[in-house]
Amino acid sequence: MADKILEIRNLKKHFSTGFLLNVDYLYTYENDIFTLIGSNGSGKSTLIYLINLLLSADSGSIVFDGEEILDKKINQQKIREKMAVVFQEPMLFNTSVYNNLLLGLKLRKIRFEEYKENLDFLIEKLKLKNLLPRSPKTLSGGEQQKVCLARALLLNPKILLLDEPLANIDQETREEFRGVFFEILKQKGTTTFYITHDRNEAMIISDFVGVIENGILQQIGPREEVFRRPVNERVAKFVGIETLISGIVGNVQNGVVKVNVGDNISIYAVGEGINGKKVTVSIRPEDVIIIGNSEETTSLSTLNIFKGKIKEIKNVGLFKKLDIDCGFSLAAYITDASINRLGLRIDSEIFAAVKASAIHIF
Amino acid sequence: MELIYEGIKKAFILIFTGDKEILGILLLTIRVSGIAVIISMLLGIPLGFVVGLNHFRGKRIITAFINTGMGLPPVAAGLFIALLFWRSGPFGFMGLMYTPTAMIIAQVVIASPIIAGITLAAVGQINPKFKLQAVSLGAGRIQMSWLIFKEAKLPALSAIMAGFGGIISEVGAVMIVGGNIKGSTRVLTTAAVQMVRMGEFASAIALVIILLILVFAINLILTLIQQKEKEKWQIKYWK
Repeated sequence: MADKILEIRNLKKHFSTGFLLNVDYLYTYENDIFTLIGSNGSGKSTLIYLINLLLSADSGSIVFDGEEILDKKINQQKIREKMAVVFQEPMLFNTSVYNNLLLGLKLRKIRFEEYKENLDFLIEKLKLKNLLPRSPKTLSGGEQQKVCLARALLLNPKILLLDEPLANIDQETREEFRGVFFEILKQKGTTTFYITHDRNEAMIISDFVGVIENGILQQIGPREEVFRRPVNERVAKFVGIETLISGIVGNVQNGVVKVNVGDNISIYAVGEGINGKKVTVSIRPEDVIIIGNSEETTSLSTLNIFKGKIKEIKNVGLFKKLDIDCGFSLAAYITDASINRLGLRIDSEIFAAVKASAIHIF
Repeated sequence: MELIYEGIKKAFILIFTGDKEILGILLLTIRVSGIAVIISMLLGIPLGFVVGLNHFRGKRIITAFINTGMGLPPVAAGLFIALLFWRSGPFGFMGLMYTPTAMIIAQVVIASPIIAGITLAAVGQINPKFKLQAVSLGAGRIQMSWLIFKEAKLPALSAIMAGFGGIISEVGAVMIVGGNIKGSTRVLTTAAVQMVRMGEFASAIALVIILLILVFAINLILTLIQQKEKEKWQIKYWK
């Protein structure tokens, strides 16, 4: 694994509104895309401002590229010159797109010739050629943000700080642009600190994910780990796990934990547990398999097969979401084709199966 | 109607025959208000910019002073300057009373807060994230200020227009500190007042028309500069 380029420890920033940002430990690996997710007002943007030294911290440590950047003697401008920031709103100055693109180089006194190749690459990849002579005011929001991202990438930063740059772009443009942009980031190996409140976006683009709520970092880890093995209910809800069931560990055998969640209902999960301990079981909706009749269940290897009744069918983008009453509420994603094939409707009785290895307890 | 017609006719005669007295009044008006607006610009724009861009203790009080200054009655400004430069006043020894210099000072006192106030409001309208973006791109304090100034450039031109409009048309202050002395401190507004007092309405109308043409011409120039700025989007290659 690559080296950690950014390490934040015990960082605190208190605001007069009473909000406190308190990050115990957060880190980013070189060349990775790290995504920090959290709801609005959770302190995500504040963290970017602190890393870029646009805000001063009350206490703590930020080690970036081997240097303690909160040191009062540090040359802040030199540190900022190793980074680039793109804000949520496109921040383009009152000059042509071309001049805006080159502004960072000019301010950092970098010779344009050294970056000519990079500029040509970005202009081509992001299709900026026709926009160059125009005023930023004549561009759409998406085009403006494209220019901001190109301007930041042109600087070849050691870390690119992105504060929800795609939040104000319409869905269609956003998806198209996201693909191209993150392809460029991967191609260039740019270490990226990305902020979003969109967990699906985080799921698609990230190597590493952090979840922040109310100014406190709840969990940090590889994407799969955070999305599949949340450490608490807050994180679970934030990463899209709706099925959270309280229970008591009844038995632990051969790495399989049996959790009693209600009258004669047990859920089996692969993992560790202590008999009698209160736990929460989390099941991702995409891990649930719907079975139409009881005969088919006999051929399944999974320990978790629940009989239930469909209470609600909801549209969630490409899928439908079923809310199933199995003695506990279970959410499951299913395609339209499967709904039609199985003839599912509200009050249909079905079976739901979940592999023990897909179930997480905390 | 005949009076107005006579006035207009007289104005054109005075303008096109190059009446020496009127020409002298016109040139003095341009000189006094021109110098005053340049000085006010040099004082007002940086003041409005610094107050608008920075957060510091006492900012609200300074802003309140500037806003009060924007509504300062010219007569009050004139009286204040007169008290300072009166023979027995603290600056009486300079002998500036009833001179174009005193008129310029009075007009600076009137125009500076107007220019500072409008600049301050214009800077306040700029998204504060521009400042952060400039700094994060690598701008030092001066570079950042310059970038933000360029964002407020067009409203600053409006501030100059408002400042100029405020002083070229005022009569109270220049009358008090200039004294409307023929051939020395008589400007278009004080001359027009003088003509009305003398019952020379046609001459007064002529002077007012000349004043209006002057105001229009200067505002036209500034507006054209402002519009040109808006349309200027050619590529400036790297220097």
